[in-house]
Amino acid sequence: MAIRIVTDSVSDLPPALAQANDITVIPCYVIIGSETYKDGVEITPERFYSRLPTLSRLPSTSQPTIADFQEVYQRLLDQGHQIVSIHVSAKLSGTLNSAAQAKAALGDSSDIEIVDSQMASAPMALVVLDAARMARETSDFREVARRVRGSLVRNHGFVMVDTLEYLQKGGRIGKAQAFLGGMLKVKPILTIRDGEVHPLERPRSLERAKNRLIEMARELAPIRQINISYSTDRVQALGLRAELAELVGPEHLVESRFGPVLGAYVGPNALGVAVTQGSDD
Amino acid sequence: MSTMKDSELTGSELRRAFRLAFDRLEENRDTVNALNVFPVPDGDTGTNMSLTLRSGIERCPDGEGPSAGEVAYELAQGAFFGARGNSGVILSQFFKGFSDALQGRETCSAADLTQALDMARVAAYGAVGSPKEGTMLTVIRRAAEAAAEIAGDADTTTVFETAFGASCIALKNTPEQLPVLKEAGVVDSGGLGVVVILGGTLEALAPDRYEEARASAGLDSIVDTSMASLGGAGQSQEQGFVHASLEEAWGYCTEFIISGSDLSLEQVRQRCEEMGRSTVVVGDSLNVRVHVHMEDPGAAISYGVALGTVSSVKIENMDEQNVEWAAGHSGPAPSVGAPITVVAVAAGRGLAELFMESGCGHVIEGGQTMNPSVQQIMEGVEHAGAEHTIFLPNNKNIVLTAQQVAANDPTIHVVPTRSVPQGVAALLAYNPISTVEENMAAMEGVLPEVTTIEITQAVRDTSVDGVAVSLGDYIALLDDKLVLTARSAEDALRESIGMAGVDSSSILTIYRGSDADPGAAEASAEALEAATPGLQVDRLYGGQPHYHYLASIE
Repeated sequence: MAIRIVTDSVSDLPPALAQANDITVIPCYVIIGSETYKDGVEITPERFYSRLPTLSRLPSTSQPTIADFQEVYQRLLDQGHQIVSIHVSAKLSGTLNSAAQAKAALGDSSDIEIVDSQMASAPMALVVLDAARMARETSDFREVARRVRGSLVRNHGFVMVDTLEYLQKGGRIGKAQAFLGGMLKVKPILTIRDGEVHPLERPRSLERAKNRLIEMARELAPIRQINISYSTDRVQALGLRAELAELVGPEHLVESRFGPVLGAYVGPNALGVAVTQGSDD
Repeated sequence: MSTMKDSELTGSELRRAFRLAFDRLEENRDTVNALNVFPVPDGDTGTNMSLTLRSGIERCPDGEGPSAGEVAYELAQGAFFGARGNSGVILSQFFKGFSDALQGRETCSAADLTQALDMARVAAYGAVGSPKEGTMLTVIRRAAEAAAEIAGDADTTTVFETAFGASCIALKNTPEQLPVLKEAGVVDSGGLGVVVILGGTLEALAPDRYEEARASAGLDSIVDTSMASLGGAGQSQEQGFVHASLEEAWGYCTEFIISGSDLSLEQVRQRCEEMGRSTVVVGDSLNVRVHVHMEDPGAAISYGVALGTVSSVKIENMDEQNVEWAAGHSGPAPSVGAPITVVAVAAGRGLAELFMESGCGHVIEGGQTMNPSVQQIMEGVEHAGAEHTIFLPNNKNIVLTAQQVAANDPTIHVVPTRSVPQGVAALLAYNPISTVEENMAAMEGVLPEVTTIEITQAVRDTSVDGVAVSLGDYIALLDDKLVLTARSAEDALRESIGMAGVDSSSILTIYRGSDADPGAAEASAEALEAATPGLQVDRLYGGQPHYHYLASIE
């Protein structure tokens, strides 16, 4: 019997890290045309991004069903585990709703704690990895959930997009609406604040945007872990990684990829940096 | 004592004095405009001062009733709202000081007048952050000082006479104080405006003494010397300025046919040339086809009707872009009710769209050749309708006007952008979810990172900053400094960018004006990209008048 961490595919947690940390990732759904795919299971990022430019209608996404959650929860409970289930911001998705209803269906007294990460993707993955670490150190799953909730303010994510078009068409643009406009080729940098997309800056070139991402991360020092993320351009992500590697030990440097759900909103050529503040203890 | 009493000016006399001052300024507007040191189409000093004073006069109460204090107050109020351009703002502050001194006065005694001139001087100097000598400020100061020196034993006419005489001498000395004037061989244009105003007031009170004072100060020769320095034939400079003046962009292309008998082609042509610009008159004694650019097309048509039957009337706003743009912005601003917004000044449809698209709540039409007034800025801010407004003047001659607005309204915050590229950079640093203070710091912070290049055509012969310029030359201004002349706009652009220096990490933005050829612009952009590998060259259609290219290096 142990404490097990459950998350959803919006965390973009690399499968190898999920496996190594006994983290269960519940896939969301990606809808392309009339076809529905399980994120990361039935469609890979490679396949998704190669199709993205050819689509006449942008893909849409859908949260995991209540049944999906119920199945995972039931299996883990049957194995005698307690569950901390950490999900994408409730302001961006209905995933938490599905989770809560699945828990209710299993009986509210069941050993499941549901946590709103108030984030998506790279910073959410850092929260989930931290939770897995806490789960190994603690015997009380409620204590893990409490500590995870307390840790959220120390996690920050910044993403540079090539265009805001996907966020706008996907209806998730939020306050970054103000940065719309295509006459100047800006590379908007966004963050998620209070669970919503917030505009930060409008650098005029990719190089300047990358430099700003690096500076924004450095300004948050001391840093305990970093997650570098990209949608299509791994070379640029490796460049960011090289610049930021010195800030944390190699075991705390994660590289991830915006999966199809995030990819549908950030589009090609997006780059992200997420950090967890604090010193290694 | 009774003679002193007699010389006190009533409200209506004061109004009459400044009314004539305005008329004289209006008559001399082109001369004052011509003294512009830079041979570029610019916010013209004569036009700006004249429009500012006009706004004051129009507000002045008419008739015999009002007191001197009331007249001065309304004059100052009107000048405040009408102030445009740096010279207009300084002039409006002059009237503010003048009016403060006369507050509550039924009539204006010589002592009152002396004090009014002194307070006008103080207020005028207060209008600018770092006052420069050899400008209209010096002329105002010398006039006030001379008036103070004779205080006690003079009447109001003598005070004006002394102030006017001193202003002429101060004007003559401006080239000794300001090297750019000396190099161009001209006196200061705003200074001449002040001289004309003071002369007008004296003339209204005592025409004979005005003529004497003017002759003894040698005013005509001062002006003639300057005009002669402006190079070449007076005719061509005049045309240059006509071409660059603000009416050009706002006129109507007016075409019609006059049918009659015994029409004089020569007479029609001459009259049309007097009324408008770009005149083409062809035909014979029975039918005359007229093409003329008019500020008021009605005047040309009325003239035609007086000669015969008018047909085939066609009137078009020459600045179609302006019309389209205005039509697209007739609805409520997107920023109405927002906690914060940005309002910018820009000329040309492309620039207006760029500013709107990049986050402005409203764009006020204007720029180099048309400086908006205090009133227009206030209206623009009101139209935007946000709780707080960050204002981008985008021109060095509009900054002071904007600051004058902001000084009276704590919800208006001016980022002193001196060029369009600075304005774009500041706007990109704007974030509507940040506070006013955070935004002001971020937006002001980027200004030093922007190098501005402006390419235009010289409107006359001169020499500026050691560069000899001929009428029609393409000239480049690098951060307001005239650096070179070239045979084409593209050459000027390329050479000035080379002079400013770019490297592989630079971002070069080129804003094509309405007079620039798209193909030549693209070829220049490609050549610049090829010359510096890695250089990012962004091309935008600015549509700005008169300036073939604006460019920035960041």
